[in-house]
Amino acid sequence: MEEAMTSSQGGESDMDYSDNECYDEYYNIHDDSDIEQIDPRKIDPEYFEFRCLLEEEVDRLLNETVEALSSILHISPSLAKVLLYSHQWNVNEITKKFRENPTSVLVSSRIEPATTPSSLLLTRYIICPVCVTPQPLDKFYGLSCTHMFCKDCWTMHFEVQINQGISTGIACMARDCVVLAPEDFVLKHLQRPNMREKYQQFCFQDYVKSHPELRFCPGPNCSIVVHSCEMKAKRATCTQCKTAFCFRCGCDYHAPTDCQVIKKWLTKCADDSETANYISAHTKDCPKCHICIEKNGGCNHMQCYNCKHDFCWMCLGDWKSHGSEYYECSRYRENPNIAHESVHAQAREALKKYLHYYERWENHSKSLKLEEQTLTNLKARINQKVMSGLGTWIDWQYLFTAANLLAKCRYTLQYTYPYAYYMDAGPRKELFEYQQAQLEAEIENLSWKIERAETTDRGELENQMDIAEKRRTTLLKDFLDV
Amino acid sequence: MAATRRLQKRDIRNSGLKSFRDIQVDETNILTWQGLIVPDNPPYNKGAFKIEINFPAEYPFKPPKINFKTKIYHPNIDEKGQVCLPIISAENWKPATKTDQVIQALVALVNEPEPEHPLRADLAEEYLKDKKKFTKNAEEYTKKHSEKRPAD
Repeated sequence: MEEAMTSSQGGESDMDYSDNECYDEYYNIHDDSDIEQIDPRKIDPEYFEFRCLLEEEVDRLLNETVEALSSILHISPSLAKVLLYSHQWNVNEITKKFRENPTSVLVSSRIEPATTPSSLLLTRYIICPVCVTPQPLDKFYGLSCTHMFCKDCWTMHFEVQINQGISTGIACMARDCVVLAPEDFVLKHLQRPNMREKYQQFCFQDYVKSHPELRFCPGPNCSIVVHSCEMKAKRATCTQCKTAFCFRCGCDYHAPTDCQVIKKWLTKCADDSETANYISAHTKDCPKCHICIEKNGGCNHMQCYNCKHDFCWMCLGDWKSHGSEYYECSRYRENPNIAHESVHAQAREALKKYLHYYERWENHSKSLKLEEQTLTNLKARINQKVMSGLGTWIDWQYLFTAANLLAKCRYTLQYTYPYAYYMDAGPRKELFEYQQAQLEAEIENLSWKIERAETTDRGELENQMDIAEKRRTTLLKDFLDV
Repeated sequence: MAATRRLQKRDIRNSGLKSFRDIQVDETNILTWQGLIVPDNPPYNKGAFKIEINFPAEYPFKPPKINFKTKIYHPNIDEKGQVCLPIISAENWKPATKTDQVIQALVALVNEPEPEHPLRADLAEEYLKDKKKFTKNAEEYTKKHSEKRPAD
């Protein structure tokens, strides 16, 4: 019996092996074809190469740069760190500047004083200007500026500064002296292990923040550092905590809007939240039978549960007109005579314009949240289907893929509104809003179909997914400029 | 304690500063000083202003705090007596800074207001836009609220 089992296992693994081989060959054939030659950057406008690093890996990366610079310039690693920190870790720039004028680099990086220090008084006992205690000369230390202070005062100075969160920025204790204390000098005066650890931790944070190719993952309690040679406003996703963010500004990913514009928009939204408050109402009346309707799904294609009227949640217009090329509910129509109107009318128009974009921005953000709920409901629905013998769990998987794609598309759509708000009127804006409307229509179609998927027949839905994603990439290709 | 030692050794009570007088130190708490600022420039030269200096236990590694006990009409000193003095801000503080340097900076600020970084924006605006009105208001305020100037 046992023998039989072993042999059967062996048989299976043999089969696995041959399967793998088969796949290998299959993929190899593909590798030889033209697929490999296509640059992913050209197909996917959001393509971004990055790595998630652990603290040790970041340390190694930083140390390699430090060692490289210190061997080029023949300076201590500690001084190399001060130079790198003040020059955004650009070895080439430092080397070039240093070759041209070493003194000016050392002064501007606060390694050496601007004026040559006066010669030292060589008496055996001197008084420390900080603690006013006379002590033998060998108890005194100073930086390149030669301002001498006793050992205990340096230790105390460093501990007080570190407890205030300062590390790379600790300067000499003399009044008006800007010379910085390099790492080796600080560590020489710190004995307590927890102080040394704190200091090194703060330095590490400063180094990562000053390094243009590194960014801390903004996820809560996540210690991952993302590294990329492309310093662009692209999406990085943390492999550890799954937080997705913009690599350049560290905020929520915001394509096609750029970092400055999204900042302006979010500040505006926060400032104007009072005026926009009424928008947060979750209910609207059915435009036909006037019954009160609560939006309980992400889809903007509404059907009144009372009179079965199909309408758009955004503009309350008939949905029929939205299915066609006339779908324009995302486009804001500016009043062409605005320049001749009164100040009041202009202010009203400005608010109206803002609210148009804000409503849509806020609405898609809400839809995203509601669609998360849909996903949970989806699981329950699939369970029910599988239990009653309608297909297997695997047959229904496509719905999850569809829901994920929907979230991705709607996220981009949400961020097209601040982009459009700040765009100047003209043919480019018209094109943008046309593409935005197209994307919006396809997304609503997709959302509608997902919420109502009743069969394992996935052809139609997959087709819709493809259309929506194509619209999304087309818009990004034309307007994402990072 | 470093703070006590430094305050005892580097005593400015006898340093003969004309614009900072009547320094009183609580015998039980050497970390709190009181004194009288005696400005030279109008509109403050008709009175004197009582201040309190509080030295933290970590002094001189952390800066002292200064508070006006006498009300003063000044763009850089608020109603609560708080004063914005860069030399004793946490970012700029240097342990080797001496107390008389701090006092000199304070006296200079009282004599020459700095409306560019005010604590009281309304007074700064008045100072810049209507100096006459500011001077008149400040003089009246000084007459009404300030301490008597020492005789000599």
